[in-house]
Amino acid sequence: MPADTVSIMGVFSSEHRAASAIDGLRETPWTIERVHSPIPSHAIEHALEPPRSRVSWFTLAGGIVGFFSGFLLAAFTSLRWSLIVSGKPVVALVPFFIVGFEFTILFAVLGNVLGLISQARLPRFDTQPGYDERFSGGHFGVLARCSAGEQEELARFLEENGAEIKTDF
Amino acid sequence: MEQTLTYRKIDDTVLDTLTPPQRSYWALVALLFAGVLMGAGCWIYQILVGIGVGGQNNPVHWGTYLINFVFWVGIAHSGTLISAILHLFRAGWRNPIARAAETMTVFAVCTAGLFPFIHLGRVWLVFYMLPIPNQRTLWPNFQSPLMFDVVAISTYLTVSSLFWYTGMLPDLAIIRDRAVGVRRKIFTVLALGWTGEFEIWRHYTRGYLFFAALATPLVISVHSVVSWDFALSVVPGWHTTIFAPYFVAGAIHSGLAMVVTLMIPLRLIFKYEAIITDRVLESVAKTIVFTGLIVAFAYATEIFMAWYSRNPVEMETFRWRALGDYALEYWIMVTCNTIIPLFLLFKKVRTNIRVLFVISLLVNVGMWYERFVIIIGSVAHDFLPHAWGLYSPSLIEFGIMIGSFCLFFFLFVLFVKHMPSVSMTEMKETLHEGASHAG
Repeated sequence: MPADTVSIMGVFSSEHRAASAIDGLRETPWTIERVHSPIPSHAIEHALEPPRSRVSWFTLAGGIVGFFSGFLLAAFTSLRWSLIVSGKPVVALVPFFIVGFEFTILFAVLGNVLGLISQARLPRFDTQPGYDERFSGGHFGVLARCSAGEQEELARFLEENGAEIKTDF
Repeated sequence: MEQTLTYRKIDDTVLDTLTPPQRSYWALVALLFAGVLMGAGCWIYQILVGIGVGGQNNPVHWGTYLINFVFWVGIAHSGTLISAILHLFRAGWRNPIARAAETMTVFAVCTAGLFPFIHLGRVWLVFYMLPIPNQRTLWPNFQSPLMFDVVAISTYLTVSSLFWYTGMLPDLAIIRDRAVGVRRKIFTVLALGWTGEFEIWRHYTRGYLFFAALATPLVISVHSVVSWDFALSVVPGWHTTIFAPYFVAGAIHSGLAMVVTLMIPLRLIFKYEAIITDRVLESVAKTIVFTGLIVAFAYATEIFMAWYSRNPVEMETFRWRALGDYALEYWIMVTCNTIIPLFLLFKKVRTNIRVLFVISLLVNVGMWYERFVIIIGSVAHDFLPHAWGLYSPSLIEFGIMIGSFCLFFFLFVLFVKHMPSVSMTEMKETLHEGASHAG
C-alpha cells in the first residue's frame, strides 16, 4: 500500500447497501481492496463483476490425469499377470474403464481442492487488517483505499451508504 | 417458519448446541463407547482364534460382515444424494439437513470400510489388495469387481470427507470468531483462516459446485460397483443386470430413512424446530415414498424376470425366497421397504413426527433384511441341492454388528455436540436477502 494512502473499512448490516456502496465506489477513483461477506452474495458478485474462477481448470486437469492413471494402472497390473481367462483380453476395456472412472472422480476432486486452496490462498493464519468478527455472522465489509487527503470524503461516502466506519487497524 | 429466522438467530441456535454438554450426554457417549469396545473385543478374538468363530461356512461364506458392509455403504449414499444432487437442483429443503446427512455419510463409510477388513480374517494381509510394488511381483487384478470396490469405496470416503470438510469452512470461522482461549486456536486452524473475503467465496462457490457435480455420478457409481460384487458372479438371484439401479435405489431409500432417524431426535434435543421444519421432514418423507416405489418395482421385476426366463434355478431361488426357510426375513423386507412407506402418502401420517420416526426405523430394519435376503438367500440355495445349507450368525458376529452400530452413533453423537450440525451459512443463503437480516 503506498505511504500516502489510507484504508477505511465500511461495515454494513445489509447486503444490498454493501452492494450499492461497491457500485458507487467503482465509479470513483478510490480502490476497493477487499469485500467480506457471510454468504456467497450474488448482489455483491454483480457489483464487483469478478473474472471467472480458474478452479475448474485444476479440476479438469485432475480428471484427465486421473482417468489415464486409473486405466493404465489396471492395464499395467493385468499385463504383469498376463493370464488369458476364457479367451478374454488381458487388457480389458470395460472393467478397466470402471477403474479409470473412479480415478477420474478422485483426481478431479483432489485437483479441485488443490485449485481451491491455491487460488483462494488458503490456509492463511495472519490477521487481516480491518477484519471484523461480525463478518462471519451477518455483516458485510468493504475495505476501500484513498489518498490521505480524501479520507473524510471516503468515510462520508461509506456512511451515506449505511456503513459503520472502522479506521483503527 | 423459515421467514421468522434471521442470520443471528440461525447462529445462536446452532452455536447453542455447542455449549458444554450435560452428564447425560457423556453417559450416552460412554455407553456407545462401551459398545464399540465390545465390538473391537469380538474382532480381536476373531483375529486370535480365526475366522471360523463367525457363522460363515459352506455354502454361505458371506454373512453379516457383507450384509453390514452393504447396509452401511447404502446408508452413506443419501448424505451425498441430499448434499450434492439437491444442491445442483437448488432444492431449498436440503440446506437444514445437508450437514447432518454429510456427516452420516462420512461416518457410515468409515463403518462400512471396516467390514472388508473384518471379513478378511487375516487382516494383516490387507496390503495384498493395494497396487504397491512388492518382491513377489504379485499385483491386484482389476478385472475383479472386489478390486473395483476397493477403488470405489476409497474414492467415496476421500471425496465425501473433503466435500464435508470444505462445506464446513465458513461455519468453522463463525465458531472461531465467537470462541476464546484454546478453543479459538483449534478453530482458527480448522477454519484455515477463512475470512469470508469475496475473493475466497469466488473460488469456493466454483469449487463447491464441482464437488457436487463430481459427487453425483460418484454416488451412483459406488453402489453400482457394490452391486457388481454380486451381479458379476453366476449365482442365481445375483446374476442380473437390474442390480446396479436396484442397489442405488435401495441405498437412497435406506439413507433417507436414516436421515429421518437422526434428524428427529436432533431436532428435538437441540430445539431445531425453526430450522429443521415440518416441511423439511415432510419433503424427506415424500422422497422415501418415491424411493420405496422404485424398490418395490425392483422386487417385482426380479420375480418377473425369473418367471419370464423359465430358468428353473432362477425360478426356484425366488420361490424359495418367498416361501422357504428365510420367508420371514423376505416378508419383513417387503413389508418394511415397500408397504409401510406407502402410509407416508397420507399427509396426517407424514406430518406426525412420532409416526414418521417409527416408519424410518422400520425402513432401516427392512433394508438390513434386504441385504440379508440377497446375500444369504442366494448362496444358501443355489444350483446343487446337495450343497444347500442354512446360515445363522454367531455371537461374535452379533457382537461386531452391535459394535458397528455403536461406532456409527458414537461418532455422530460426538460430532453434533462439538461441531455445527446444521450449516449456518447455507441456512443464511436460504433466507430472503432483506435489509436488516443482521438481527
